[in-house]
Amino acid sequence: MSGLLADRRELPQRLSVTEPIEPHPFRRIAVFGGVYSNAHALAATLADARSRDVDAIFCLGDLGAFGPHPDRVVPLLHDGGVRAIQGNYDLAVGQGHPDCGCGYTDPRDNHFARLSYAYTLAHTSTANRRFMAALPAHRRLTLGESPALLCHGSPRAISEFLWESTTPDGLLRRLLDDARAEIILCTHSGLKWHRRLADGRHLVNVGVIGRPENDGTTHVWYTLLTAEPGRALAVEFVPVAYDHDTLAREMEAEGLPPEFVETVRTGWWTTCLEVLPARERARGRF
Amino acid sequence: MDASAPTAALTPPLATVPFRHLTALWVQVTGTWCNLQCVHCINASGPRDPWLASLDAPTVRRWITEAAALGVKEIYVTGGEPFLHPEILPLLGFALAHAPTTVLTNGTLIDAPMAEGLAALAAGAPYSLEVRVSLDDPERTRNDAIRGRGAFDRALAAIRRLHARGLLPILTATEVETARPGEGLYDRLRRLLLDAGVSKPRVKILPLFPVGRVAGHGGGRVTAEMLQSVDPGRLQCSESRAVAAGGIYVCPILSGLPEARMPVASLAESLTPTPLSHPACLVCWQTGASCRNG
Repeated sequence: MSGLLADRRELPQRLSVTEPIEPHPFRRIAVFGGVYSNAHALAATLADARSRDVDAIFCLGDLGAFGPHPDRVVPLLHDGGVRAIQGNYDLAVGQGHPDCGCGYTDPRDNHFARLSYAYTLAHTSTANRRFMAALPAHRRLTLGESPALLCHGSPRAISEFLWESTTPDGLLRRLLDDARAEIILCTHSGLKWHRRLADGRHLVNVGVIGRPENDGTTHVWYTLLTAEPGRALAVEFVPVAYDHDTLAREMEAEGLPPEFVETVRTGWWTTCLEVLPARERARGRF
Repeated sequence: MDASAPTAALTPPLATVPFRHLTALWVQVTGTWCNLQCVHCINASGPRDPWLASLDAPTVRRWITEAAALGVKEIYVTGGEPFLHPEILPLLGFALAHAPTTVLTNGTLIDAPMAEGLAALAAGAPYSLEVRVSLDDPERTRNDAIRGRGAFDRALAAIRRLHARGLLPILTATEVETARPGEGLYDRLRRLLLDAGVSKPRVKILPLFPVGRVAGHGGGRVTAEMLQSVDPGRLQCSESRAVAAGGIYVCPILSGLPEARMPVASLAESLTPTPLSHPACLVCWQTGASCRNG
């Protein structure tokens, strides 16, 4: 006898003392999440970030998913000197899991997640899978004088969704305490947001560059964080325009679902909507 | 000779689920007081002589305050029928000031003024308000055979009222009958909502739990060996607690049952491993179901 849970085993993620720690403090960094095989947006993001005097560029994981030709992403990360951590997709693809481990529970969300994962797994090279499997789950760095933890979903779970409307301050305080950090940077949900607690600590969901933000525009977003001496942490969300028409045509040529292509062309999410809380869902078209 | 000793020695040990962190607090504000009497109700709620009392407002506020201090992620307000509570809107407002809050209702008491009140709460709250409206079958007669005459029309009207005010309710169904041919329950309920003009249909399906009015029908033991093959962190007793008259309970399914009551006075003390000792625990293990929204 076996339960349905048996196919979804996920070992608990613990903050590890062996996670990479950047040796020198940074003044300004660029951070993005969720590339989702969108090499066009990645190239545009890296070009934009390089023009903004950043000390380093970080990726919070999910290199594949949704888009075409996943193997085009890793070389751009290498060439750009991007320091990445592992997302749930990288973990799943890297280890050949039966599903993406995105954390969806709704049948419609899971239907499209399966299509996306099957394509991505089949089109990712062995070398890139090895690269993804070896990515660290977290990174630590110092931004100005503040310790920061980089994670994919949340510090405690790679596939936890931290939406703005469903992440209470009490939870944030607990996450920051447990992470021994003054700043948490995360992604996974696909929607960017920033909250500064009354005690001066921060959580920033840096958004994703793989698909637009469900706001009816086709650009994507990354995040600049600047820590000038004597000043509060500055968080700037940066829109990035890219050749979304070419991406859409490539997705069609690869036989990816038309619902995915529609999102790229219109900026409205058409899939993986059921996981959205009411407030975030209300902002979209569907 | 002790005849029971060999049998006891052969019985596999029950599984025990470690506690991870307090994700969800369930607050059974009206105990088992409900204006409906559904055939599958997990806590046998009804309109007459509820076996579990309501919680008064100060008690509810005390539990929510403690949960927030522990870093709870979500609060769920349930019953019985929560909208029978005389202070339901202020209590929802209090919960929303601390954490995203979901209220689970049969929808029958959500008239236009109540829908307006909920919309105003949602608009002014720092966190998301979710309203889950129970409706078990897209066919009126089949639904009302489960939930009572008139329940279908009143629940659907509530969903329309809430949707019209931008609240995007989640239709929540219990899969009473699992083996009907043709289109699945999820798709049929989505179609019902779309046909009713609900442009952003949201549907959650729960399995039938052998507890309350369905106690004794199915379920079984979850042994320690069975738990080896799953991630125990996906079982809601690893991340949820329920509060109701009598104190703190291991999960929302078993809330109010004496055998599920935890012998502690505070939520902080309740965050301990849980034995999977009830027949309903097998359904969670088999299906991976969570009573939470996601």
